[in-house]
Amino acid sequence: MTNQFSRRDFLHLAGAVGGSTAAFRAAMALGLLPAAAHATRPQLASLKKSKKVLILGGGISGLTAAYELSRKGYDIQVLEASFRAGGRNMTLRSGDRIDETGFPQVCNFDKDPDLYFNCGPARIPGHHKELLNYCQELDVELAPFINDNRNAWVQDDAMFGGKPIRAREYFNDSRGFVAELMAKSLKKEHLTGPMTAADWEQLREYLKQFGELDPQFKYIGTARSGLASHDYTFPDQLKKPLSPSELLKSRFMQIMSFGETDDQAAMMMEPVGGMDRVVAGFLRKVGHLVQLESQVQKIQVMNRGVEVTYRRNGQYVKAKADYVLNCIPMHLLAGIEHNFPKDYAAGFTAIPRGKLFKIGLQMKERFWEREGIYGGISWTLQDIQQIWYPAHGIHRKKGVVLAAYTFDPNAGEKFARLAPADRIKLAIEQGSKIHPDYGKYVETGVTVAWHQMNHMLGCAAQWDEALWKQWFKTLQAPVGSHYLMGDQVSYHPGWQEGAIASAHRAIADIDARERAAGSVAA
Amino acid sequence: MKCRNASAPRNVKSVATAIALAFVFGSASAGNDFDYCLLCHGANANGNYGIRAPKLSGMEPWYLARQLENFAVGARGTSAEDAPGHEMGPVGMRLKAEGAIDAAVQFIGKLDSKRPAPTLTGDVAHGKKLYENCASCHGARGEGNPALQSPALAARSDWYLVTQLTNYQKGLRGADERDTYGAQMRAIVATLPDEKAITDVVAYINTLK
Repeated sequence: MTNQFSRRDFLHLAGAVGGSTAAFRAAMALGLLPAAAHATRPQLASLKKSKKVLILGGGISGLTAAYELSRKGYDIQVLEASFRAGGRNMTLRSGDRIDETGFPQVCNFDKDPDLYFNCGPARIPGHHKELLNYCQELDVELAPFINDNRNAWVQDDAMFGGKPIRAREYFNDSRGFVAELMAKSLKKEHLTGPMTAADWEQLREYLKQFGELDPQFKYIGTARSGLASHDYTFPDQLKKPLSPSELLKSRFMQIMSFGETDDQAAMMMEPVGGMDRVVAGFLRKVGHLVQLESQVQKIQVMNRGVEVTYRRNGQYVKAKADYVLNCIPMHLLAGIEHNFPKDYAAGFTAIPRGKLFKIGLQMKERFWEREGIYGGISWTLQDIQQIWYPAHGIHRKKGVVLAAYTFDPNAGEKFARLAPADRIKLAIEQGSKIHPDYGKYVETGVTVAWHQMNHMLGCAAQWDEALWKQWFKTLQAPVGSHYLMGDQVSYHPGWQEGAIASAHRAIADIDARERAAGSVAA
Repeated sequence: MKCRNASAPRNVKSVATAIALAFVFGSASAGNDFDYCLLCHGANANGNYGIRAPKLSGMEPWYLARQLENFAVGARGTSAEDAPGHEMGPVGMRLKAEGAIDAAVQFIGKLDSKRPAPTLTGDVAHGKKLYENCASCHGARGEGNPALQSPALAARSDWYLVTQLTNYQKGLRGADERDTYGAQMRAIVATLPDEKAITDVVAYINTLK
């Protein structure tokens, strides 16, 4: 990452993929969303007479809508352009195909239930209630996911000559330094406003606890930063605090609170066996309604219903429906023939596409566990940005490590320009600054450049406050019987919960229309 | 739900080519491999500004073939600064199989070409004056001239013409010695001194029929 982070960049990072926190809050402030309320799954009425619904795209939003509507008498067909369903919810295992433009790859991991790689979504926070409800309903077994691990490493060429330090050292030595500095410089007479001189003692006590200062308000080190030795036949010995001036050299401060954000703090979960167990769960219910390798070419909104033309087996096929739920990424929709209003279609090219990039490496030994790291993330300010250690398969022989996950589009593009083998080479080179013998453990790897993956050609839509204000309501509203869906039409892009929210909103609207028309069973 | 089985090839000359293409794109089915072109370049390959993929339909077969060859040998689309060209680079490189480029060109040739809507405005009168330099090769009506290997410019994606003129100017295109016609174009583009000149000339090209 070459650019300085702004606060907004940070909020984008905090949203993991495309970010949304800031705009989400802004939307709440504008009264667009109820504060702290959860949207709930709409209770649809059953139809008296079936209505045809075409769903364009078999990702999470499309499958959610298919599942809900098909149970209420709607006649559903899901047209999926790819050879697989799931959209960006994708788990790679032995033999899987990676359908990248120009660089098709095959996953050569060993055939083993623990050796898989979630190259799209990989974690579920405890408040993503709708997704968690579906997991429960669709028998998707969940396990804890370790996101924040203070025993993992922080590495930045700008500090300590590039030598990695434990995350706990960065966090607690910098906190100790800041607490001491503030405690020493804070005078009673400085306190005005909500805090008064009477609060001075309490504030000093808070600082003492915050940084673990000694009785003289001096920071002399803390066990929070890890002990110098864990030989318990000897008394505990604190590590010497790291140099604050070195710590301050790193821009890691701009991402250090990642694991404390709304969507990233414990308790996080992951499906046992891979995130695509969610897709498999939906497909058990609606897989028979999904038609693969059907690429939409044309959408015509009619006075009644919608007409869709798609290509399958090299032929054009026409389909008509009462409703169309369209989950095609907007930047691809821009290239499809349509008769949408101009001020609606102009939005398709207004929202930039995300360019996230991930690498998964199969390691022949779980060497990180010998370093006391069980799950979690090491952070670096190099292009690879993060190394994730699997929380599943602990103490087994091998494991699949996430060896790069770039938030910065420039880093994503840099990797994507390289051939897969060179991407892996670069990831090993950079990872070796964290784990010296990193490369020697690598057996095979997979690389996923989302903006070059066929039928996606982008990751989460890159909304920002201005774009939200200008386009969101327009794109969210139906055009005739055509609805745009997917995480791209939510205030939580890059999360499955956002995709589900968009589906729920669209099907609730259809339900309301059908109820109003009196076509539902009493 | 299963992966669809391989079906009979439709848009390719021979079964051998179909197999080669299946290898090219890494897919199990060769029948609709060229549908991948439409994924980026839009329905009927009429272009998709959303991902900066230009209109291909209506391009002369010889011009398409030459550019695909340029991509295939790495004479185009290798500069990091030319991000969309770079995305096409590895796709072109996979068209090295015997007959693959011909088959691709044939596929594009069958598509229903539509005149793209203009996306830019400029000083058309100024553009017309500038276009005098272009007309000798590309024709007074932007119809192109196969004898000179100059492609038509009328009814192309206007934003793409701007990108390419800028790329020539920056040496992102036409700098590779294997791209001889590109090198010619790169020399002549010096007659368009700045961004405004490029916009104006493309605004004029937009009026050509």
